[in-house]
Amino acid sequence: MRIRVRVNGVWYERDVEPRKLLVHFLRDDLGIKSVRVGCDTGHCGACTVLLNGMPVKSCNVLAVQADGAEIITADYGDELMERLKRAFHERHALQCGFCTSGMLLASYALLRRNPKPTEEEIREGISGVLCRCTGYQNIIEAVKAAI
Amino acid sequence: MKHVGRPIPRLEDYHLLYGGARYLDDIELPGQLYAGFVRSPYPHARVKRVDASEALSMPGVVAVFTPQSGRPFDFAPGGKVRYQGEAVAMVVAADRYLLYDALEKVYVDYEPLPAVVDPIKAMEPGAPVIDESLGTNIAKREKYASGDAERALSSSDRVVEEELVIERTVPAPMEPHGVLAAYDGRTLLVYDSTQKPHIVRREIAKSLDVPLTAVRVVQPDVGGGFGSKIQVYPEEIRVATAAMALRRPVKWVATRSEDFKMTTYGRGLILRYKAGFTRDGVLKAIKGEVIADAGAYDWFGFELASTAVTMLPAAYKVRDLDVDAVSVLTNKPPLGPYRGAGRPEATFFIERIMDLIADETGLDPVEVRRRNLVEAAPYENPFGMSYDSGEYVAGLQRGIEATGYYDLIRNAESERARGRTLGVGMSFYIEITTYGHEVAIVRAERDGSFTVAVGIAPHGQGDATGIAQLVADELQIPIDKVRVVWGDTDLVPDGLGTDGSRSLTAGGSAAVLAARRLLDELKKAAEAMVGGPVEYSNGTFRSGDKAVSIAEVVEAAYRGKVKAQLEAMEVYRAKATYPYGVGVVVVELDPETGLVKPLLYRSYDDVGVVVNPLLAAGQIHGGALQGISQVLYEDVVYDQEGNLATPNFAFYHIPKATEAPRYEPHFAEAPHRSEHPTGTKGVGEAPTIAAAAAAIKAVEDAIRRATGKKVRLRRSPVRPEEIYRLLRE
Ligand code: FES
Ligand code: FES
Repeated sequence: MRIRVRVNGVWYERDVEPRKLLVHFLRDDLGIKSVRVGCDTGHCGACTVLLNGMPVKSCNVLAVQADGAEIITADYGDELMERLKRAFHERHALQCGFCTSGMLLASYALLRRNPKPTEEEIREGISGVLCRCTGYQNIIEAVKAAI
Repeated sequence: MKHVGRPIPRLEDYHLLYGGARYLDDIELPGQLYAGFVRSPYPHARVKRVDASEALSMPGVVAVFTPQSGRPFDFAPGGKVRYQGEAVAMVVAADRYLLYDALEKVYVDYEPLPAVVDPIKAMEPGAPVIDESLGTNIAKREKYASGDAERALSSSDRVVEEELVIERTVPAPMEPHGVLAAYDGRTLLVYDSTQKPHIVRREIAKSLDVPLTAVRVVQPDVGGGFGSKIQVYPEEIRVATAAMALRRPVKWVATRSEDFKMTTYGRGLILRYKAGFTRDGVLKAIKGEVIADAGAYDWFGFELASTAVTMLPAAYKVRDLDVDAVSVLTNKPPLGPYRGAGRPEATFFIERIMDLIADETGLDPVEVRRRNLVEAAPYENPFGMSYDSGEYVAGLQRGIEATGYYDLIRNAESERARGRTLGVGMSFYIEITTYGHEVAIVRAERDGSFTVAVGIAPHGQGDATGIAQLVADELQIPIDKVRVVWGDTDLVPDGLGTDGSRSLTAGGSAAVLAARRLLDELKKAAEAMVGGPVEYSNGTFRSGDKAVSIAEVVEAAYRGKVKAQLEAMEVYRAKATYPYGVGVVVVELDPETGLVKPLLYRSYDDVGVVVNPLLAAGQIHGGALQGISQVLYEDVVYDQEGNLATPNFAFYHIPKATEAPRYEPHFAEAPHRSEHPTGTKGVGEAPTIAAAAAAIKAVEDAIRRATGKKVRLRRSPVRPEEIYRLLRE
C-alpha cells in the first residue's frame, strides 16, 4: 500500500506492507532511528511518537494507519523540544539514553496540552515510558525546569 | 579551576540528545541480514531432530544453522535443551518480517524430560538431573568457616533458624541484547551491546579459533546493562560465526520477550541458616548455606553465592561463622550478575538478621546495629576481606542523623492517626567494589587538547565526564580540552569494561596516572625549550620570566622541534575498596488491598571522593529504585512444569514514574578516601544494596503499624497477596 506521512515537517511517500508496524516504517524505511524499540508488548514506551499531536506507541500502530498523519519524533527541533533537551541535560535526566526519545515526546505532549503541570501530572504524563536508569526524579525535575 | 567535586552536566548527553545516538539496532551495514533463534518451548527436553527444509525454501531465507552445524554454534549441547527459551537453531534472512515467518517453519522434534525449577527440590535425591556428566544438580559447594560456629551457637542466649529467599529478577535494561557482525575475509567487525568489548573480543577469537587481531569489537551506545551484558552469550558467538560463514553482515536484536528467555537473571539466592545472639542483641554466630539458583549452566551462580557468603558478616563483629556457598542447576536461564551481584544479597541477609535480633530482643534496630558494628577500618573480616577505610559506628550515627530516621518514624506514627499507614525501614551496608586491572592512554593532540582512551566501557553511568574532570584537574586545563573515548578494541587499550562499581576508580586512576606521566614528559620538553628547570601551573611551564604553554610544547613536539613523548599509557592494578552507609525507605501501605507504594528513599553514603555529585546522585536514584523494586514489584514466576509465567513487560513489572519514590541522597561530608589516586570507592551499586534491605523492613514496619503485630518477612519480593493475608491473620 502507498502511504503519505509528514514526519517532523517533511512529507514522505512510500509503499509499505500492510502488516508493517509504524515503528519499523519510521526506523527501517525512513531511517529515523531516534524512535526506539524496547519491547514487543506495548509496555515500554521507547517507541513513543506524536501522531497528530497525541503521544502514541508507534509499535502499537500499523504504518498504514498513519497514512496522512503528522508525526513528530525526538529529532523535532522547535523551541519547546529544545528547552526540554536543555533541561534534560542540565538536570541529568538521562543515563543510558534509551528511553530519552520517548520521555522527551511524552513530556512535550504533556506541556503542549498542560503548560503548568503539577508533579503528579508530570508523573502521570510520562508514566507510559519506562526508564530503568534514572529512577525518574531527574526527568520530573527536568520537565519542571522546562515549564 | 578545579573540576572534581562539581556537579558538571554530562558531556555524553549532547550526542544522545541531538541525533548522534547509535544503539546496536540503529547501525546498518550494507547488505545486512537478520538473524533469529528458534527457541525451545520446553524447559527440559532431548532434541531428536531439527527440520529446516521448509524454512529454507521460504522467501528471503539465507541459511539455517542447527545442532548439526556443530561447533562453535553449539546448539543443544549434549543433545538437550535445559531451559525454556534455550536456542536450538538460528535462521538468517534478508528481512526482519521474513525472518519471523521463517522461524515458525523450523520444526523440532523434542522428547520432553521432567524439569526442576526449584533449587531446593533440585538438590533432593531423585530430582531430574540436568547435567548428566555431573550426576547431580549441585554444581559446586564450598565451605567458608571461621572460629567455631557450633560452639558459639550453643553458648548463645537465643538461637533462631529460618530460610531467607531472594527470588530471581530480570535485569531488563531498556535496550535488549543484540549484536551485528561482518567479516571481510580477514577481520571480523562486531558491534555488540555489551559491557565488556575486550572480553567479547577474546571470547569470539577463542571460540572461532582465530587470532585476537582478527576480531574488532565496537561497543555502540548501550541502552543499559546492569550486569546482564557482562556474560558473553552463545548468541554473540553464533552471530559472529554466521557472519564469517556467510561473508555477509548479520544482525540479531532480541525482542523483549526473547530477551527474557536468553538473558542472565539476577539475585536468585537463598540463605538457610541458624543464628545465635545474646540477650543484649549481640550476634554470636551464623551457620548455614547460601544456595544459588544457578540455572541450566553454572556461568555465575557459584560466584554470586560465594560473594554473598564472604560479605555476609558485613562490618559486624561476628567471627564464628560456618557458611557453605552452593550453586544448584535448575531448568532456567543461567544466573548472572545484576547490579550488586552478591552484595545486595549479603546485605539483605545480614540486615534481615539484624532486624530479627531487634524484634527478638525488643531493642531498637539502630541500637542493634550499633552494638554489633566494628568501630572502624582497617578491618579484616573473618573471610579475609580487608576493609580499607571507614568509620562504621560513627557512620551509622551520621547516617541516622542525615536521613532523619527517627523523624520519619515519628511522622509515620502521627500519620497513622490521620488514617495513613506508613512504614519506615533502615539498613546499614558495606560492600566491596573494584577488582582487576584497568588501562588508559592519554595523548596530547596538536591543538593542545588531550584524548583519553580507556578500557572501561560506560553505558549511561557518566564515567567519561568523571574521567574528563579528573584528567582536567591533573593537567590543570579546562575540561573542554579533554576528550574521553572508549568502546572500540581497535582504538582503546585492553580493559575489563564496566561493571562492579569500578569504572571511575580503576579507569579514572589509570587515566590520572597516565596524565601525570605525560605531563612529566612534556615538562622535560618544556625544559629543553626554555633551557632550564620549569614549574608547571594551569597550562603553563615557567622558568624565571620565561614561559611556554603546554599547547606550545605539544605543537613544537608535533613539528619535531623538540623531542617529547606525546602519549602515555598506564596499566593500573586496582585493589578492592569498600563503600558503606545507611539507606532509609519509607513506604505507604493500603491495608484494603495489601499494595505498597514507596514514598521516599534517603541515604547517607561514604563512597570516598565524589567526583561529580550530579552523576553520583543519579546513580543513587536509579540504583535505589532497582533495590526497592526488587522487593515490591519484580517477580519472576514459573508454573509447576517450568514454564515462565512472566515472559515480558506485560507480566513482569518494571516501576513507572507514578510508582517511584522521591530520593534524597546525602554523601559523607568528610569521606574516607580509597587508596586509589581518584580517592573514589564507587557508587553504582551501593544504593541498590542499601535499598532492598531497607525496603523489606519498611514493609514489615507498615504491617506492624496497621495491625499492631510483629511480622517477619522472609522472601523478596513481598507479594501483595502475602501482605493481604498477614493483615487479616
Ligand atoms: S517498543 Fe515498547 S511500547 Fe513500543
Ligand atoms: S536513561 Fe536508561 S532507560 Fe532511561
